[in-house]
Amino acid sequence: MSEASHLTHEDRHRALVERLTANVQPIRRIWPVGVRLGLWMVLEACVLAWVSAHTTNHFQEKLTQPAYAIEIVSFAAAAIISAALALRSAIPGRSLPASETALAAVLVLAGAMLVSVAEPMNTANRLGDFVRQGLPCAYSTGMFAVLPWLGLWWAVRRGTPMRSGLPGVLIGGAALSFSFAMMRVACPSDEPLHLLTWHLLPALILTVFSGLAGMVWLKLRSPSRDPA
Amino acid sequence: MNKLDNAERRRRSRVRAQLMERVQQGDADACRALLDDIGPSLTYFLRRRVADPHELEDVYQEVFMAIFKARHTYEPKRPFEPWLFAIARNIAADYARRRWSRARWEELVAEPPDQPAESSNTAAPELKTVLAKLPSDQREAFSMLKLDGLSLEAAAVRAGISVGALKVRAHRAYRALRRLIGE
Repeated sequence: MSEASHLTHEDRHRALVERLTANVQPIRRIWPVGVRLGLWMVLEACVLAWVSAHTTNHFQEKLTQPAYAIEIVSFAAAAIISAALALRSAIPGRSLPASETALAAVLVLAGAMLVSVAEPMNTANRLGDFVRQGLPCAYSTGMFAVLPWLGLWWAVRRGTPMRSGLPGVLIGGAALSFSFAMMRVACPSDEPLHLLTWHLLPALILTVFSGLAGMVWLKLRSPSRDPA
Repeated sequence: MNKLDNAERRRRSRVRAQLMERVQQGDADACRALLDDIGPSLTYFLRRRVADPHELEDVYQEVFMAIFKARHTYEPKRPFEPWLFAIARNIAADYARRRWSRARWEELVAEPPDQPAESSNTAAPELKTVLAKLPSDQREAFSMLKLDGLSLEAAAVRAGISVGALKVRAHRAYRALRRLIGE
């Protein structure tokens, strides 16, 4: 029998407390969710400013069309709500209200519906042209999401995510909803099939990948299990 | 009576929040006082989720370590208990998942094969036999991490060594096992 097996709960508790107490050092408290969300939105604004300055799309004129404006606002709002939820999911004891999650989903759905019905769908395009015009947009959708994704990932990583995969989905959802909104500013095409195939679909696929990355990452970051 | 209980609970919660704030500032005495104070509540909380007393000790240790590790996420203006028990609940759920997968693995191992293996050369060597060939410290590290499902920190506490030393042992064990299984 080892000596350790004779220890009582009290003995173990004392040893554990002394061990932890010996390692106490001042730590920098995590910034409040509102502050981190604000910084993330500043980052978004910088990306938006860059996109606005470099696009050939006359988006200022299009903003007078209600459907176009609502689409952009819906996706941008969904991005902000998802980001707030992602940040909250990394703070133990902070709840993720179902109403906010549902609101983000509804906003994305409403935006996608508007995209589908606002303009007539052009199915007469040749496949080669459709792909040639679409691939750069799919690439840009991913690229516009990189900075917001990394920024949010870092901000969530500073916390202690408690649920597997969910923070990853929320981070991906936020970055890619935002990216979709940016693409509505950057891309001159308003054709629904193009937008659904080359803007929305890549965003959804990358959100799923982000969720998977979150699952792996969360597994490593769980407070109870260190990376081996 | 109930009002008194609530008032006492609120007072206690405030004291814990203040202690946690001091822990964040690096106060060792506050850390000791806080961990001693939450010990009984945590034990009570975990007893309802972990039946085995030995496993309860491991989960209890893990919760304490997780609280310590996540202390930077506590916001002093918020009540302390939801933060504390969210961590404890998460660790207990993690434990339940590991226990379930371990039970499945043990079921698989315990089930005798219908037919003996036709060729002993191609069959993988039994884990027990292979483990017996490892040095005792490596075998212990492997068993705690992979068979008992302990976290690195809990296993290190149990073995009485640092997490780094345990990682080295475990790494050597994996390497040796790979070599032995590949033989």
